Amino acid sequence: MNFRDALNSGKFVVTAEIGPPKGTDIKEMLHDAEMLKGKLDAVNVTDNQSAVMRINSLSICKILLDMGHEPILQVTCRDRNRIGLQSDLLGASVLGIKNVLCMTGDHPDAGDHKGAKAVYDIESVQLLRVVDSLNNGRDMMGNEMKGATDFFQGAVVTPEANPIEPQLMKFEKKVSAGAKFFQTQAIYDIDKFRDFMKHARKFSVKVLAGLVLLKSAGMANYMNKFVPGITVPPGLIEELKAAGKEKALDAGINIAARHIKQLRDEKICDGVHIMAIGAEDKVPLIMERAGLL
Amino acid sequence: MIITKKREHNDLMENIKNCNSLFLLGCSECATLCGTGGEPELRAMKEMLEAEGKRVTGTFVSKTGCQVLGTKVELKQFKDALAETDCILVMSCGAGTQTAVELFQDKPVYPANDSLFLGNMTRIQMFDERCSLCGKCILDKTGGICPVTACPKGLLNGPCGGTNNGKCEVSADIECAWVRIYNRLKRLDQLEDMKRIAEPKDWSAHKKPMSLNAREKKEEVEK
Repeated sequence: MNFRDALNSGKFVVTAEIGPPKGTDIKEMLHDAEMLKGKLDAVNVTDNQSAVMRINSLSICKILLDMGHEPILQVTCRDRNRIGLQSDLLGASVLGIKNVLCMTGDHPDAGDHKGAKAVYDIESVQLLRVVDSLNNGRDMMGNEMKGATDFFQGAVVTPEANPIEPQLMKFEKKVSAGAKFFQTQAIYDIDKFRDFMKHARKFSVKVLAGLVLLKSAGMANYMNKFVPGITVPPGLIEELKAAGKEKALDAGINIAARHIKQLRDEKICDGVHIMAIGAEDKVPLIMERAGLL
Repeated sequence: MIITKKREHNDLMENIKNCNSLFLLGCSECATLCGTGGEPELRAMKEMLEAEGKRVTGTFVSKTGCQVLGTKVELKQFKDALAETDCILVMSCGAGTQTAVELFQDKPVYPANDSLFLGNMTRIQMFDERCSLCGKCILDKTGGICPVTACPKGLLNGPCGGTNNGKCEVSADIECAWVRIYNRLKRLDQLEDMKRIAEPKDWSAHKKPMSLNAREKKEEVEK
């Protein structure tokens, strides 16, 4: 069952992400991909994540597709103008990629090419409209194309953004621009997330809660300090600390598994998106402990 | 006004290493307010150059350095000093420098400053960029705050996920443009403006090099 059908079937879906490496050695990435095979409903491939230059998302999506994965092409607006974005989307379509996640993209300032010209010719909301247009057989200028795309397009939202009101307004814009599904920024406070979902449920879109695997108390503190829109509650940091250095990752896996179980059992959202960030091989274990495997 | 910053000393000295004599040209407008091309800065530059063994044949702060004809007229009084100099060092913006390039066909012209942005002066010699000269103003739709300029990503449809307690992910020194816009529109009871999806910007409105003949328009109106 493809990702679109899985979401529409009402199944609790699980996605994870693969970050393409910097350089041409993809052995490790392929190993992770192999471990995840058959376990996920789809796998996201990041687009020069954190503005750090790596293999492009499209090539890795195609490799994963050939392996039998259901890839989600992450597309940011940071590096390509409207011509490049549409052209790459058409290319993705003929290569058989069905799912796209439209995002604005981290600023080059966050990455390893700080002097790069930030493009942002269009941005996430407009990109969603572009995809909708390509799906209807026209480019964004309204020019008729020979053959349309058939993308299932999604977007991101930060449920814990502060202030939340402008973020929710943008969420609604993304919905009306054609987003069919959302994968959220990492959430750790299920009660707060439930409040967000009360709002999101007013719209006919599917929402996958984003979960970033906590590997240590230090990582949690770092994210609280430096990553906008992510708040790890003190209770979870205590839990990681109490586990001790060697068992912290294990505790993090337990936390993720517990959250997934709660989100599913209480039918809070439509699925989860697990971001293991360098520990992709732990995703099956998280799923197992959550009772998903 | 155009905000300028004095270039690195070494870059400047490298530019003029083959020039024994220089004529210094400042500007009484923006560069004077920026402290990069007024009387005091020209005096300091003259002293520095003379200490480095160069000869300064003359100095002048033009009224408006980007005005080609006006500057040409003003410089007539320095005919001799200009004839004997090896090069012209312009202490205003890139536009002022290119006024000199147009006026001095046979002499090298060098910039003493880097031109940074179109700025608002918030305090004496403190400047903020608020307008990017994009060619098609959208301030009517964004509560009068320009996201093309104030947001490092130039986003047109609301904040990205990097907004952090009202600050920008790029730097905690930057207020999130869209939080500012949101707060202002809310205060003005105009939040409806923010709910409409903004179309992709037409960048052809700023196709370089820009040129405008306002005179033609005026003549048309008169007809």
